[in-house]
Amino acid sequence: MIERLKLYARIYAIQLKNNWVRETVYRANFVTAVGVDIVWILVEVSLFAVIYSNVPSIAGWTKYQVYFFLGIFFTSDALFTVFFQRNFFNFSDLVNKGELDILLTKPVHPLFLALSRWINLTAIFTISMGLMIAVHYAPQAGFAGGMRWALVLFWMFIGVISAILLRFAFAVWIFWTDRNWALVRLYYQFFAFASKPDAIYPKVIRYLILTFIPFAFIGSVPARALLHGLELWEYLALVLVLLGFFILNTILWRRGLRRYQSASS
Amino acid sequence: MNWRLAALKNGFKDYTAYRVEFLMEILGNAIVPAAIQWVLWYAIFKTDGATELAGMTYVQMLHYTLVSVLFNQVRGGDQDFELAEMIRTGQLSNYLIRPVGLIQFIYIRGVASKLLISALSLAIGIVLSVSVLSSEASPLRMIGAMLLALLGNVIHFQIGAVLSAMAFRWEDAYGLLMVKNMAVSILSGELLPLNLFPESMSWIWKSTPFYLYVFGPAQYALGEWTHLEFVRQLGVAFLWIFVLWVLIRFTWGLGIKKYVSLGG
Repeated sequence: MIERLKLYARIYAIQLKNNWVRETVYRANFVTAVGVDIVWILVEVSLFAVIYSNVPSIAGWTKYQVYFFLGIFFTSDALFTVFFQRNFFNFSDLVNKGELDILLTKPVHPLFLALSRWINLTAIFTISMGLMIAVHYAPQAGFAGGMRWALVLFWMFIGVISAILLRFAFAVWIFWTDRNWALVRLYYQFFAFASKPDAIYPKVIRYLILTFIPFAFIGSVPARALLHGLELWEYLALVLVLLGFFILNTILWRRGLRRYQSASS
Repeated sequence: MNWRLAALKNGFKDYTAYRVEFLMEILGNAIVPAAIQWVLWYAIFKTDGATELAGMTYVQMLHYTLVSVLFNQVRGGDQDFELAEMIRTGQLSNYLIRPVGLIQFIYIRGVASKLLISALSLAIGIVLSVSVLSSEASPLRMIGAMLLALLGNVIHFQIGAVLSAMAFRWEDAYGLLMVKNMAVSILSGELLPLNLFPESMSWIWKSTPFYLYVFGPAQYALGEWTHLEFVRQLGVAFLWIFVLWVLIRFTWGLGIKKYVSLGG
Protein backbone atom coordinates (compact mmCIF):
# COMPACT_ATOMS: atom_id res chain seq x y z
CA MET A 1 0.00 0.00 0.00
CA ILE A 2 2.76 2.40 1.02
CA GLU A 3 4.70 1.46 -2.11
CA ARG A 4 1.63 2.21 -4.27
CA LEU A 5 1.21 5.59 -2.61
CA LYS A 6 4.89 6.34 -3.17
CA LEU A 7 4.49 5.44 -6.85
CA TYR A 8 1.51 7.79 -7.20
CA ALA A 9 3.38 10.56 -5.37
CA ARG A 10 6.39 10.11 -7.65
CA ILE A 11 4.24 10.30 -10.77
CA TYR A 12 2.49 13.40 -9.47
CA ALA A 13 5.82 15.08 -8.70
CA ILE A 14 6.88 14.47 -12.31
CA GLN A 15 3.59 15.89 -13.63
CA LEU A 16 4.08 18.94 -11.40
CA LYS A 17 7.61 19.48 -12.69
CA ASN A 18 6.50 19.18 -16.33
CA ASN A 19 3.70 21.67 -15.79
CA TRP A 20 6.03 24.11 -14.06
CA VAL A 21 8.41 23.99 -17.02
CA ARG A 22 5.52 24.58 -19.45
CA GLU A 23 4.20 27.56 -17.46
CA THR A 24 7.60 29.21 -17.31
CA VAL A 25 8.04 28.86 -21.08
CA TYR A 26 4.78 30.75 -21.82
CA ARG A 27 5.34 33.75 -19.54
CA ALA A 28 3.02 36.11 -21.42
CA ASN A 29 0.28 33.53 -21.12
CA PHE A 30 0.90 33.40 -17.37
CA VAL A 31 0.47 37.18 -17.05
CA THR A 32 -2.65 37.11 -19.25
CA ALA A 33 -4.25 34.31 -17.23
CA VAL A 34 -3.64 36.18 -13.98
CA GLY A 35 -5.20 39.31 -15.56
CA VAL A 36 -8.26 37.33 -16.67
CA ASP A 37 -8.72 35.92 -13.17
CA ILE A 38 -8.47 39.39 -11.60
CA VAL A 39 -11.12 40.75 -13.98
CA TRP A 40 -13.40 37.76 -13.27
CA ILE A 41 -13.12 38.44 -9.52
CA LEU A 42 -13.79 42.14 -10.13
CA VAL A 43 -16.91 41.38 -12.20
CA GLU A 44 -18.36 39.05 -9.56
CA VAL A 45 -17.63 41.50 -6.75
CA SER A 46 -18.96 44.45 -8.80
CA LEU A 47 -22.24 42.65 -9.44
CA PHE A 48 -22.93 42.50 -5.71
CA ALA A 49 -21.45 45.96 -5.07
CA VAL A 50 -23.99 47.42 -7.52
CA ILE A 51 -26.90 45.55 -5.94
CA TYR A 52 -25.82 46.44 -2.40
CA SER A 53 -25.64 50.10 -3.40
CA ASN A 54 -29.45 49.83 -3.59
CA VAL A 55 -30.33 47.44 -0.73
CA PRO A 56 -28.86 46.79 2.76
CA SER A 57 -29.17 42.98 2.57
CA ILE A 58 -30.23 40.13 0.28
CA ALA A 59 -32.18 37.30 1.93
CA GLY A 60 -30.60 38.26 5.24
CA TRP A 61 -27.04 38.30 3.87
CA THR A 62 -25.17 41.55 4.38
CA LYS A 63 -22.67 42.92 1.89
CA TYR A 64 -19.72 41.74 3.99
CA GLN A 65 -21.12 38.24 4.41
CA VAL A 66 -21.52 37.96 0.64
CA TYR A 67 -17.95 39.20 0.10
CA PHE A 68 -16.72 36.60 2.62
CA PHE A 69 -18.70 33.96 0.70
CA LEU A 70 -17.13 35.18 -2.56
CA GLY A 71 -13.65 34.85 -1.03
CA ILE A 72 -14.35 31.25 -0.04
CA PHE A 73 -15.95 30.50 -3.41
CA PHE A 74 -13.03 31.99 -5.40
CA THR A 75 -10.53 29.99 -3.34
CA SER A 76 -12.41 26.74 -3.66
CA ASP A 77 -12.95 27.22 -7.40
CA ALA A 78 -9.32 28.25 -7.96
CA LEU A 79 -8.11 25.10 -6.19
CA PHE A 80 -10.20 23.08 -8.63
CA THR A 81 -8.85 25.15 -11.53
CA VAL A 82 -5.23 24.59 -10.49
CA PHE A 83 -5.42 20.84 -10.18
CA PHE A 84 -8.30 19.60 -12.32
CA GLN A 85 -9.90 22.03 -14.76
CA ARG A 86 -7.56 21.51 -17.74
CA ASN A 87 -7.74 17.75 -17.27
CA PHE A 88 -11.50 17.85 -17.58
CA PHE A 89 -11.23 20.06 -20.68
CA ASN A 90 -9.01 17.41 -22.27
CA PHE A 91 -11.06 14.47 -21.02
CA SER A 92 -13.30 14.32 -24.10
CA ASP A 93 -10.23 14.19 -26.37
CA LEU A 94 -8.91 11.22 -24.43
CA VAL A 95 -12.03 9.27 -25.29
CA ASN A 96 -12.81 10.65 -28.75
CA LYS A 97 -9.29 10.37 -30.13
CA GLY A 98 -8.55 7.08 -28.45
CA GLU A 99 -5.81 8.61 -26.31
CA LEU A 100 -7.22 6.80 -23.32
CA ASP A 101 -5.62 3.59 -24.70
CA ILE A 102 -2.19 4.54 -23.49
CA LEU A 103 -3.47 5.41 -20.01
CA LEU A 104 -5.23 2.06 -19.72
CA THR A 105 -1.94 0.24 -20.24
CA LYS A 106 -0.12 2.02 -17.39
CA PRO A 107 0.34 0.37 -13.97
CA VAL A 108 -1.67 3.08 -12.18
CA HIS A 109 -5.37 3.93 -12.23
CA PRO A 110 -6.19 5.53 -15.62
CA LEU A 111 -8.36 8.18 -13.95
CA PHE A 112 -5.43 9.28 -11.82
CA LEU A 113 -3.39 9.90 -14.96
CA ALA A 114 -6.32 11.45 -16.82
CA LEU A 115 -7.09 13.91 -14.04
CA SER A 116 -3.59 14.81 -12.87
CA ARG A 117 -1.71 15.39 -16.11
CA TRP A 118 -2.39 19.11 -16.49
CA ILE A 119 -1.87 21.55 -13.64
CA ASN A 120 -2.78 25.21 -14.09
CA LEU A 121 -0.25 26.96 -11.89
CA THR A 122 -1.42 30.46 -12.85
CA ALA A 123 -4.61 30.00 -10.83
CA ILE A 124 -2.52 29.84 -7.64
CA PHE A 125 -2.70 33.62 -7.75
CA THR A 126 -6.52 33.41 -7.63
CA ILE A 127 -6.32 31.17 -4.56
CA SER A 128 -4.38 33.88 -2.75
CA MET A 129 -6.79 36.58 -4.00
CA GLY A 130 -9.77 34.55 -2.73
CA LEU A 131 -8.16 33.96 0.64
CA MET A 132 -7.29 37.65 0.97
CA ILE A 133 -10.90 38.63 0.27
CA ALA A 134 -12.18 36.10 2.82
CA VAL A 135 -9.67 37.17 5.48
CA HIS A 136 -10.33 40.88 4.84
CA TYR A 137 -14.10 40.66 5.20
CA ALA A 138 -14.21 37.90 7.86
CA PRO A 139 -14.55 40.21 10.93
CA GLN A 140 -17.29 42.39 9.36
CA ALA A 141 -19.08 39.26 8.13
CA GLY A 142 -19.23 37.96 11.70
CA PHE A 143 -16.80 35.05 11.27
CA ALA A 144 -15.58 34.03 14.72
CA GLY A 145 -11.97 33.51 13.52
CA GLY A 146 -9.32 31.98 15.83
CA MET A 147 -9.23 28.20 15.63
CA ARG A 148 -12.17 28.24 13.22
CA TRP A 149 -9.75 29.23 10.45
CA ALA A 150 -8.58 25.63 10.55
CA LEU A 151 -12.05 24.64 9.40
CA VAL A 152 -11.51 26.64 6.20
CA LEU A 153 -9.13 23.90 5.03
CA PHE A 154 -11.75 21.23 5.62
CA TRP A 155 -14.44 23.18 3.77
CA MET A 156 -12.09 23.94 0.90
CA PHE A 157 -11.56 20.21 0.60
CA ILE A 158 -15.34 19.66 0.51
CA GLY A 159 -15.68 22.40 -2.13
CA VAL A 160 -13.04 20.87 -4.41
CA ILE A 161 -14.37 17.31 -3.98
CA SER A 162 -17.87 18.55 -4.87
CA ALA A 163 -16.57 20.31 -7.98
CA ILE A 164 -14.66 17.20 -9.10
CA LEU A 165 -17.66 14.89 -8.64
CA LEU A 166 -19.99 17.30 -10.41
CA ARG A 167 -17.65 18.02 -13.30
CA PHE A 168 -16.99 14.33 -13.76
CA ALA A 169 -20.73 13.61 -13.80
CA PHE A 170 -21.02 16.02 -16.75
CA ALA A 171 -17.84 14.81 -18.50
CA VAL A 172 -18.30 11.05 -18.33
CA TRP A 173 -21.13 11.06 -20.91
CA ILE A 174 -18.50 11.43 -23.62
CA PHE A 175 -18.48 7.64 -23.79
CA TRP A 176 -22.03 7.76 -25.13
CA THR A 177 -22.07 11.01 -27.16
CA ASP A 178 -20.20 12.16 -30.27
CA ARG A 179 -18.95 15.23 -28.45
CA ASN A 180 -20.02 16.59 -25.11
CA TRP A 181 -19.35 20.27 -25.77
CA ALA A 182 -23.00 21.15 -25.01
CA LEU A 183 -22.88 19.29 -21.68
CA VAL A 184 -19.67 21.05 -20.72
CA ARG A 185 -21.30 24.36 -21.58
CA LEU A 186 -24.33 23.37 -19.53
CA TYR A 187 -22.04 22.66 -16.57
CA TYR A 188 -20.67 26.19 -16.78
CA GLN A 189 -24.18 27.62 -17.16
CA PHE A 190 -25.24 25.82 -13.97
CA PHE A 191 -21.98 26.87 -12.35
CA ALA A 192 -23.43 30.40 -12.18
CA PHE A 193 -25.66 29.05 -9.38
CA ALA A 194 -22.53 28.33 -7.35
CA SER A 195 -21.46 31.96 -7.46
CA LYS A 196 -24.35 33.17 -5.26
CA PRO A 197 -25.14 32.24 -1.64
CA ASP A 198 -27.71 29.42 -1.63
CA ALA A 199 -29.82 31.30 0.94
CA ILE A 200 -31.02 33.71 -1.75
CA TYR A 201 -32.59 31.00 -3.90
CA PRO A 202 -36.27 30.04 -3.75
CA LYS A 203 -36.95 26.66 -2.12
CA VAL A 204 -37.11 24.55 -5.29
CA ILE A 205 -33.84 25.83 -6.76
CA ARG A 206 -32.17 25.68 -3.38
CA TYR A 207 -33.25 22.05 -2.99
CA LEU A 208 -31.86 21.24 -6.45
CA ILE A 209 -28.47 22.86 -5.85
CA LEU A 210 -28.19 21.04 -2.53
CA THR A 211 -29.09 17.62 -3.92
CA PHE A 212 -29.30 16.67 -7.63
CA ILE A 213 -26.94 19.35 -8.92
CA PRO A 214 -25.05 20.26 -5.72
CA PHE A 215 -23.29 23.40 -6.93
CA ALA A 216 -23.96 24.98 -3.51
CA PHE A 217 -21.33 22.65 -2.00
CA ILE A 218 -18.54 24.41 -3.91
CA GLY A 219 -18.63 27.69 -2.02
CA SER A 220 -22.00 28.57 -0.56
CA VAL A 221 -22.42 25.72 1.95
CA PRO A 222 -18.77 26.02 3.11
CA ALA A 223 -19.20 29.78 3.64
CA ARG A 224 -22.50 29.29 5.47
CA ALA A 225 -20.99 26.54 7.62
CA LEU A 226 -18.07 28.80 8.55
CA LEU A 227 -20.30 31.79 9.32
CA HIS A 228 -23.32 30.24 10.99
CA GLY A 229 -22.72 26.47 11.17
CA LEU A 230 -25.02 23.90 9.55
CA GLU A 231 -27.92 21.94 10.95
CA LEU A 232 -27.43 18.20 11.57
CA TRP A 233 -29.57 17.16 8.59
CA GLU A 234 -27.46 19.37 6.35
CA TYR A 235 -24.26 17.55 7.33
CA LEU A 236 -26.04 14.27 6.69
CA ALA A 237 -27.34 15.48 3.32
CA LEU A 238 -23.84 16.63 2.37
CA VAL A 239 -22.35 13.20 3.04
CA LEU A 240 -25.19 11.34 1.31
CA VAL A 241 -25.16 13.54 -1.80
CA LEU A 242 -21.39 13.38 -2.25
CA LEU A 243 -21.42 9.62 -1.66
CA GLY A 244 -24.28 9.26 -4.14
CA PHE A 245 -22.35 11.18 -6.79
CA PHE A 246 -19.24 9.12 -6.13
CA ILE A 247 -21.16 5.85 -6.63
CA LEU A 248 -22.94 7.17 -9.73
CA ASN A 249 -19.68 8.38 -11.27
CA THR A 250 -17.97 5.05 -10.55
CA ILE A 251 -20.80 3.11 -12.23
CA LEU A 252 -20.82 5.44 -15.26
CA TRP A 253 -17.03 5.29 -15.59
CA ARG A 254 -17.01 1.47 -15.52
CA ARG A 255 -19.87 1.21 -18.01
CA GLY A 256 -18.22 3.85 -20.17
CA LEU A 257 -14.97 1.87 -20.20
CA ARG A 258 -16.88 -1.22 -21.29
CA ARG A 259 -18.34 0.79 -24.17
CA TYR A 260 -15.02 2.41 -25.09
CA GLN A 261 -13.72 1.22 -28.44
CA SER A 262 -10.52 3.21 -28.76
CA ALA A 263 -10.68 5.83 -31.53
CA SER A 264 -14.10 4.73 -32.66
CA SER A 265 -15.74 5.34 -29.28
CA MET B 1 -21.96 39.14 -52.98
CA ASN B 2 -22.00 35.40 -53.77
CA TRP B 3 -19.23 34.50 -51.38
CA ARG B 4 -21.04 36.32 -48.58
CA LEU B 5 -24.18 34.28 -49.11
CA ALA B 6 -22.13 31.10 -49.35
CA ALA B 7 -20.31 31.97 -46.10
CA LEU B 8 -23.65 32.61 -44.39
CA LYS B 9 -25.03 29.30 -45.63
CA ASN B 10 -21.93 27.39 -44.53
CA GLY B 11 -22.00 29.05 -41.13
CA PHE B 12 -25.60 28.08 -40.67
CA LYS B 13 -24.86 24.46 -41.64
CA ASP B 14 -21.92 24.38 -39.21
CA TYR B 15 -24.07 25.42 -36.29
CA THR B 16 -27.05 23.22 -37.05
CA ALA B 17 -25.01 20.10 -37.82
CA TYR B 18 -25.28 19.14 -34.16
CA ARG B 19 -28.90 20.04 -33.58
CA VAL B 20 -29.19 18.82 -30.00
CA GLU B 21 -26.15 20.85 -29.00
CA PHE B 22 -27.47 23.88 -30.87
CA LEU B 23 -30.78 23.69 -28.99
CA MET B 24 -29.09 23.02 -25.65
CA GLU B 25 -26.88 26.06 -26.18
CA ILE B 26 -29.88 28.30 -26.87
CA LEU B 27 -31.79 26.94 -23.89
CA GLY B 28 -28.77 27.11 -21.58
CA ASN B 29 -28.01 30.67 -22.65
CA ALA B 30 -31.59 31.69 -22.04
CA ILE B 31 -32.75 29.83 -18.97
CA VAL B 32 -29.76 30.07 -16.65
CA PRO B 33 -29.09 33.86 -16.91
CA ALA B 34 -32.85 34.46 -16.57
CA ALA B 35 -33.02 32.20 -13.51
CA ILE B 36 -30.03 33.94 -11.91
CA GLN B 37 -31.62 37.37 -12.42
CA TRP B 38 -34.98 36.14 -11.21
CA VAL B 39 -33.63 34.65 -7.96
CA LEU B 40 -31.93 37.94 -7.15
CA TRP B 41 -35.16 39.88 -7.64
CA TYR B 42 -37.08 37.18 -5.78
CA ALA B 43 -34.73 37.45 -2.78
CA ILE B 44 -34.89 41.24 -2.71
CA PHE B 45 -38.60 41.71 -3.34
CA LYS B 46 -40.25 38.57 -2.00
CA THR B 47 -37.90 37.40 0.75
CA ASP B 48 -36.79 40.82 1.99
CA GLY B 49 -40.05 42.60 1.16
CA ALA B 50 -38.62 45.51 -0.86
CA THR B 51 -41.18 47.32 -3.00
CA GLU B 52 -38.81 49.14 -5.33
CA LEU B 53 -35.23 48.82 -6.54
CA ALA B 54 -33.69 51.82 -8.31
CA GLY B 55 -37.22 52.94 -9.17
CA MET B 56 -38.22 49.54 -10.57
CA THR B 57 -40.91 47.26 -9.15
CA TYR B 58 -40.73 43.45 -9.00
CA VAL B 59 -42.90 43.16 -12.14
CA GLN B 60 -40.76 45.67 -14.02
CA MET B 61 -37.65 43.71 -13.02
CA LEU B 62 -39.19 40.50 -14.32
CA HIS B 63 -40.13 42.19 -17.58
CA TYR B 64 -36.56 43.42 -17.92
CA THR B 65 -35.28 39.90 -17.24
CA LEU B 66 -37.57 38.39 -19.88
CA VAL B 67 -36.66 40.91 -22.56
CA SER B 68 -32.94 41.05 -21.74
CA VAL B 69 -32.72 37.28 -22.19
CA LEU B 70 -34.00 37.68 -25.78
CA PHE B 71 -31.39 40.29 -26.67
CA ASN B 72 -28.68 38.43 -24.80
CA GLN B 73 -29.11 35.59 -27.30
CA VAL B 74 -28.13 37.94 -30.11
CA ARG B 75 -25.07 39.52 -28.53
CA GLY B 76 -21.56 38.36 -29.17
CA GLY B 77 -20.11 35.30 -30.78
CA ASP B 78 -16.76 33.53 -30.79
CA GLN B 79 -15.52 34.73 -34.18
CA ASP B 80 -12.96 37.08 -32.59
CA PHE B 81 -11.36 34.12 -30.82
CA GLU B 82 -11.23 32.38 -34.20
CA LEU B 83 -9.40 35.35 -35.73
CA ALA B 84 -6.83 35.44 -32.92
CA GLU B 85 -6.26 31.70 -33.19
CA MET B 86 -5.78 31.95 -36.96
CA ILE B 87 -3.07 34.58 -36.48
CA ARG B 88 -1.40 32.63 -33.70
CA THR B 89 -1.26 29.36 -35.60
CA GLY B 90 -0.54 30.77 -39.05
CA GLN B 91 -3.81 29.48 -40.54
CA LEU B 92 -4.49 33.06 -41.58
CA SER B 93 -2.38 32.43 -44.71
CA ASN B 94 -5.06 30.08 -46.11
CA TYR B 95 -7.53 32.95 -46.08
CA LEU B 96 -5.22 35.70 -47.32
CA ILE B 97 -4.92 34.05 -50.71
CA ARG B 98 -8.69 33.82 -51.16
CA PRO B 99 -10.64 36.54 -53.01
CA VAL B 100 -12.66 37.45 -49.90
CA GLY B 101 -12.45 40.10 -47.21
CA LEU B 102 -11.07 38.01 -44.36
CA ILE B 103 -12.68 39.82 -41.43
CA GLN B 104 -16.03 40.08 -43.20
CA PHE B 105 -15.84 36.39 -44.12
CA ILE B 106 -15.22 35.26 -40.54
CA TYR B 107 -17.96 37.54 -39.23
CA ILE B 108 -20.58 36.47 -41.76
CA ARG B 109 -19.86 32.79 -41.27
CA GLY B 110 -20.16 33.18 -37.49
CA VAL B 111 -23.21 35.43 -37.48
CA ALA B 112 -25.42 32.89 -39.29
CA SER B 113 -26.57 31.21 -36.09
CA LYS B 114 -27.19 34.58 -34.43
CA LEU B 115 -29.47 35.62 -37.29
CA LEU B 116 -31.58 32.52 -36.80
CA ILE B 117 -31.66 33.07 -33.03
CA SER B 118 -32.53 36.75 -33.47
CA ALA B 119 -35.49 35.81 -35.70
CA LEU B 120 -36.70 33.36 -33.04
CA SER B 121 -36.15 35.91 -30.27
CA LEU B 122 -37.98 38.56 -32.25
CA ALA B 123 -40.99 36.28 -32.74
CA ILE B 124 -41.06 35.53 -28.98
CA GLY B 125 -40.55 39.23 -28.22
CA ILE B 126 -43.48 40.27 -30.41
CA VAL B 127 -45.75 37.76 -28.67
CA LEU B 128 -44.54 39.02 -25.27
CA SER B 129 -45.07 42.65 -26.28
CA VAL B 130 -48.76 42.08 -27.03
CA SER B 131 -49.43 39.76 -24.11
CA VAL B 132 -47.19 39.89 -21.03
CA LEU B 133 -45.32 43.19 -21.19
CA SER B 134 -46.64 46.64 -20.20
CA SER B 135 -48.78 48.76 -22.53
CA GLU B 136 -45.74 50.85 -23.56
CA ALA B 137 -44.24 47.82 -25.30
CA SER B 138 -45.25 47.09 -28.89
CA PRO B 139 -44.21 44.86 -31.82
CA LEU B 140 -42.76 47.90 -33.59
CA ARG B 141 -40.58 48.73 -30.60
CA MET B 142 -39.50 45.09 -30.43
CA ILE B 143 -38.39 45.18 -34.08
CA GLY B 144 -36.44 48.41 -33.49
CA ALA B 145 -34.87 46.96 -30.35
CA MET B 146 -33.78 43.84 -32.22
CA LEU B 147 -32.19 46.03 -34.90
CA LEU B 148 -30.19 47.80 -32.17
CA ALA B 149 -29.19 44.42 -30.68
CA LEU B 150 -27.94 43.28 -34.11
CA LEU B 151 -25.89 46.47 -34.44
CA GLY B 152 -24.54 45.62 -30.99
CA ASN B 153 -23.52 42.22 -32.36
CA VAL B 154 -21.55 43.94 -35.14
CA ILE B 155 -19.86 46.28 -32.63
CA HIS B 156 -18.97 43.34 -30.38
CA PHE B 157 -17.27 41.55 -33.25
CA GLN B 158 -15.47 44.70 -34.36
CA ILE B 159 -14.03 45.25 -30.88
CA GLY B 160 -12.98 41.61 -30.87
CA ALA B 161 -11.34 41.98 -34.29
CA VAL B 162 -9.33 45.01 -33.09
CA LEU B 163 -8.24 43.15 -29.95
CA SER B 164 -7.43 39.95 -31.85
CA ALA B 165 -4.96 41.98 -33.97
CA MET B 166 -2.85 41.98 -30.80
CA ALA B 167 -2.04 38.39 -31.72
CA PHE B 168 0.22 39.76 -34.49
CA ARG B 169 2.49 41.21 -31.82
CA TRP B 170 1.83 39.06 -28.76
CA GLU B 171 1.86 35.29 -28.50
CA ASP B 172 -1.76 35.23 -27.43
CA ALA B 173 -4.71 37.64 -27.57
CA TYR B 174 -6.96 35.11 -25.83
CA GLY B 175 -6.72 36.85 -22.46
CA LEU B 176 -7.68 40.23 -23.87
CA LEU B 177 -10.76 38.76 -25.53
CA MET B 178 -11.73 37.01 -22.30
CA VAL B 179 -11.38 40.25 -20.35
CA LYS B 180 -13.54 42.00 -22.95
CA ASN B 181 -16.23 39.31 -22.62
CA MET B 182 -16.21 39.55 -18.84
CA ALA B 183 -16.56 43.33 -18.97
CA VAL B 184 -19.42 42.88 -21.43
CA SER B 185 -21.24 40.49 -19.08
CA ILE B 186 -21.70 43.19 -16.46
CA LEU B 187 -21.68 46.36 -18.61
CA SER B 188 -24.13 45.15 -21.26
CA GLY B 189 -27.05 44.77 -18.85
CA GLU B 190 -27.06 41.00 -19.20
CA LEU B 191 -26.76 40.39 -15.45
CA LEU B 192 -28.76 43.35 -14.17
CA PRO B 193 -30.38 46.58 -15.43
CA LEU B 194 -27.68 49.22 -15.70
CA ASN B 195 -29.81 51.85 -13.93
CA LEU B 196 -29.00 49.93 -10.74
CA PHE B 197 -25.49 51.40 -10.96
CA PRO B 198 -25.13 54.35 -8.54
CA GLU B 199 -25.24 57.69 -10.38
CA SER B 200 -21.59 58.33 -9.52
CA MET B 201 -20.60 55.13 -11.33
CA SER B 202 -22.93 55.32 -14.32
CA TRP B 203 -20.17 56.87 -16.46
CA ILE B 204 -18.54 53.44 -16.52
CA TRP B 205 -21.24 51.79 -18.62
CA LYS B 206 -22.13 54.96 -20.53
CA SER B 207 -18.58 55.31 -21.84
CA THR B 208 -18.55 51.88 -23.54
CA PRO B 209 -20.80 50.66 -26.38
CA PHE B 210 -21.66 47.49 -24.43
CA TYR B 211 -24.99 48.88 -23.19
CA LEU B 212 -26.17 48.83 -26.82
CA TYR B 213 -26.11 45.00 -26.76
CA VAL B 214 -28.77 44.25 -24.13
CA PHE B 215 -29.68 47.18 -21.86
CA GLY B 216 -30.38 49.63 -24.71
CA PRO B 217 -32.59 47.28 -26.74
CA ALA B 218 -34.42 46.26 -23.53
CA GLN B 219 -35.05 49.89 -22.60
CA TYR B 220 -36.55 50.64 -26.00
CA ALA B 221 -38.58 47.44 -26.14
CA LEU B 222 -40.05 48.13 -22.68
CA GLY B 223 -40.98 51.70 -23.59
CA GLU B 224 -38.39 53.28 -21.27
CA TRP B 225 -36.73 55.12 -24.16
CA THR B 226 -38.62 57.52 -26.41
CA HIS B 227 -38.45 57.04 -30.18
CA LEU B 228 -36.19 60.10 -30.36
CA GLU B 229 -33.80 58.57 -27.81
CA PHE B 230 -33.82 55.34 -29.82
CA VAL B 231 -32.86 57.20 -33.01
CA ARG B 232 -30.09 58.97 -31.09
CA GLN B 233 -28.78 55.62 -29.82
CA LEU B 234 -28.91 54.22 -33.36
CA GLY B 235 -26.69 57.13 -34.35
CA VAL B 236 -24.33 56.31 -31.47
CA ALA B 237 -24.22 52.68 -32.64
CA PHE B 238 -23.36 53.66 -36.23
CA LEU B 239 -20.70 56.04 -34.94
CA TRP B 240 -19.10 53.20 -32.95
CA ILE B 241 -19.28 50.97 -36.03
CA PHE B 242 -17.51 53.61 -38.11
CA VAL B 243 -14.79 54.30 -35.52
CA LEU B 244 -14.17 50.59 -35.01
CA TRP B 245 -14.08 50.00 -38.79
CA VAL B 246 -11.27 52.60 -39.00
CA LEU B 247 -9.51 50.94 -36.05
CA ILE B 248 -9.76 47.49 -37.67
CA ARG B 249 -8.20 48.79 -40.89
CA PHE B 250 -5.43 50.45 -38.89
CA THR B 251 -4.60 47.56 -36.53
CA TRP B 252 -4.87 44.84 -39.17
CA GLY B 253 -2.94 46.97 -41.68
CA LEU B 254 -0.08 47.21 -39.20
CA GLY B 255 -0.43 43.59 -38.10
CA ILE B 256 -0.37 42.07 -41.58
CA LYS B 257 2.94 43.82 -42.26
CA LYS B 258 4.43 41.99 -39.29
CA TYR B 259 2.78 38.64 -40.08
CA VAL B 260 5.24 35.92 -41.13
CA SER B 261 2.77 33.14 -41.94
CA LEU B 262 4.21 30.88 -39.26
CA GLY B 263 2.09 32.67 -36.71
CA GLY B 264 1.78 36.19 -35.28
